Formats: sequence, structure tokens, C-alpha cells
Amino acid sequence: MYSLLLLNGGIGARAGAGQPKQLVKVNGLPILVYSLVAADAVDEITQIILNYPDGWRQQIEAIVSAYAIRTPVVYVRAGATRHESVRAMLDAATEDDVVIHETARPLVTSADFSTLVASEHRNVSLMLEIPFTVAPVDPATQRVTGYLERSTLRNVQLPQKFSTADLRDAHAFAEREDRLFTEDATLVAVAGHDVRFVPGSDRNIKVTTPTDIKLATYLLTGGDEE
Amino acid sequence: MSKTLLVTGASRGIGQETVRRFLQDSSPEKGTVDKIVLVARDSQDYTDALAELEAANPRGVELAAYRADVGDRAALLELVDQLAEEQGNIDFLVNNAGYTNPVPLQQVDFTDFERTMAVNLYAPFTLVQELLHRGNHFDLIVNIASTAGITGRSGWLTYSASKAALINMSEVMREELAIYGTRVVCISPGRTATALRRVLAPTEDPTTIMQPGDVAAVIEMLASPVGRYVDSANLVVRQ
Repeated sequence: MYSLLLLNGGIGARAGAGQPKQLVKVNGLPILVYSLVAADAVDEITQIILNYPDGWRQQIEAIVSAYAIRTPVVYVRAGATRHESVRAMLDAATEDDVVIHETARPLVTSADFSTLVASEHRNVSLMLEIPFTVAPVDPATQRVTGYLERSTLRNVQLPQKFSTADLRDAHAFAEREDRLFTEDATLVAVAGHDVRFVPGSDRNIKVTTPTDIKLATYLLTGGDEE
Repeated sequence: MSKTLLVTGASRGIGQETVRRFLQDSSPEKGTVDKIVLVARDSQDYTDALAELEAANPRGVELAAYRADVGDRAALLELVDQLAEEQGNIDFLVNNAGYTNPVPLQQVDFTDFERTMAVNLYAPFTLVQELLHRGNHFDLIVNIASTAGITGRSGWLTYSASKAALINMSEVMREELAIYGTRVVCISPGRTATALRRVLAPTEDPTTIMQPGDVAAVIEMLASPVGRYVDSANLVVRQ
């Protein structure tokens, strides 16, 4: 069985000067609802660990309650860094395996979670082929420094699943070595554990800008099915 | 998998005919409803309808009858508590109960307007919201509106307004409940030979207009596998 670590930034920019920050909504629903409902339908996920930005716990709890999420939810305050957040959530995990997801990807499906759970491997990430060329550069001099073979590169997506022990070990490794990673699949691999990938979907976009919200709404309301 | 159907206003008209059709439905490729929850106000009509439905139940579908006025919010909340405790998940919900007292604007009694909204709009809302709060996952919600909700009718202000709001609410429900895979369909029947229609058009010969069973047939189709292919926010059903 799995604990879901659900990273929940979820707070957008101020709507205007003097206005309070708002929970990000997609098609009128708080963005975290999509991931919660998709995960709640997966029997193998028996615990949801949801982090909340400081000061937002009450609002987040109210949403979880209103949507009658059946899986037990544990609330953990977000850390100053992603590493800190994941480590705090790991401390609350009771299962031997975890799934990591972020609420900023509202197009995740229950099937995405089930695909990971069904994999025979212990550490697995959804990943996508890269349809464009990425160049290594030196930003300081604006010099192109070489070539990257894109067939051996992947766009890292969430959700991912890990053995809880491997992920804890990898975070201890990062702390010890004082290294920062932007996501956990590469962290766990660099820490010396076997990590595999399965193909993701280009619909599973990360929503960070107002344009992303429009695109996500278009996809969620079947705009691409016409 | 066996499914549970809940019908409000089940004592007569479209509600009763809907229950009747689901009792008869025995072909496996159609719906697999094996329990029907009926809700209506206590009345002789309801008692008679229940006896009649029990007598014509060839598949042995479980019939669970509740007596409640869905326009009475306190009674409706009590009913939802009972349903959650006794009936398990409601898969198909038909919000059929309706009320009207057609009078011109100058003669509208505000309390009566509130009652119209309570039965025709707040009751469907409350049933859906309260069941969702209890973790219910719907396959299909059918809200019965009216063509009078598409265009306002002189003399029917309260009824027309309540049905217009129901059509609009159905559109919102349809979008918001897509996260569960729930289908929400609003049906707007035209003239149908029901008791409510007799209030709206007392001089009309009911044999000349659409029958409640015709609307029930459409509801049955929506709950069947082929219903998945009907993609309409407001389905107009008329003769």
C-alpha cells in the first residue's frame, strides 16, 4: 500500500494591489481537488499527506472535507524548500511505499496512479520524450558548450513512486552532500538506487502561469475532443 | 454491477413511470438497477402507486419507499441522513419532484414563490450536495426541468423562473462533477400529461399530449450504456 505525498503550493499571485492571495482555481474548482479526487479513487493509496502553505491549513482542510475525500489525510506544513517539504511529508508516511504528486498537475488521472502502482519496479517516474532540442550552455558567457542526445533525455513528470526507505535514504544523501534537486526521480537515482520510467502523457501539464490555467481548462472540459 | 436508482416525486406522473420502466427492464445490456429508492410526500396516490409497482415487479427489484416533502429543507436533510445510513451509494438520481401554482406577477405570494424554488431548485441542489458530502459518487444525475424554463411563460412566473434556474444549475453540475465521471443531464419536457400539467393547463385534453411514460423512456435510455453517447446539457423532450 502507498502513502501519497501531495505537494500543494497552490497559492497564486495577488489578484490586485492590496488583495489577498487566492487558492489557484482551474475551471472554477480549487486546483488541489483534481489530484485529491483522482487519488481517492485508487484503492492502493491508503494515506494522503497533503502539505499546506503557512496560514492556509484551515482553507485546505475545508476543501478536503467538502469533497468528502475518503482516504485519511494528514496535513503537514510546507517547508522552505522542496527538499524540506518532502522530508517533512516523509516523516508522516506510514506505508512502505510512497507516491509523490503535485497539485499543480490537475490533469492527472486515477489511471496514472494505478500505472505506477502496477509497475514491478520499486522506484518509477512518469516521463515524456522531448520533442525539441535542448542545448547545454554557459549562461554567464552565453556560450553553447556542447550537444545533448535527446533520445537519451526525458521530460520528468509527476506522479512518481518510490520505496519509502529509498526516498528517505536519497534525501539523507542530498542533505549530507549539500546538493539540491528539483525533483525526486533524479535525486533517488543519483543517490544510487534503481529508478525506472514509464511513458507519461503530454496532457499531464504543470500549471504555473495564467496561460497554463487556460490550457488546463481547455483540456479538462474536453476542448481537445472536438 | 448492481445499481441503485433514486427518484423524487415518485408517487405519480414521470416519477412513477420512471420507476415502472426500471422494474420492467430485464435485458442485460440495459441498466442493471436492482434497487429503487422512491421519495414522495405521504398521500393516497403514493400508497396506491407503491402497491401497483410492488404488484408489477417481475425482476424482484428492491423497492425502498420514503415519505418526505423535498421542499421542506429540514425534512430533506433528515431524509439524506436516513438514505446514507440505509441505502448505500445512489448511482442514478432523478430529480423529478416539481411544484407549481401558476399566477400572474401581481398575484404571486412570495411564500409560494419560495416554495416553488424550494421544490424545483433547492431540493435537487440539496440532495446532490448532501449526498456528495457523504462520499456518494453518482453515475448519472437527471434533473427534470421544463420547456417553460427555456422561454418564460406569461402567468407562470415562479415555475418558469425555477426551471430556468434548474437548467442553468444542471450545466454547472455537469462541469463540476465531471471530476468523478458523473454525467449530468437536464431534461426539459414539453407538454406532458401529469397532475402538474393539469394545474398549468386545466382545460387541456391530456390524451392529446405527451405521456409521462414517454419521458420515462428517455430517462431509461440515458441510464443505459447508450446514454453515455447523449451529450446534451438540456435535452428537450416533446411531442
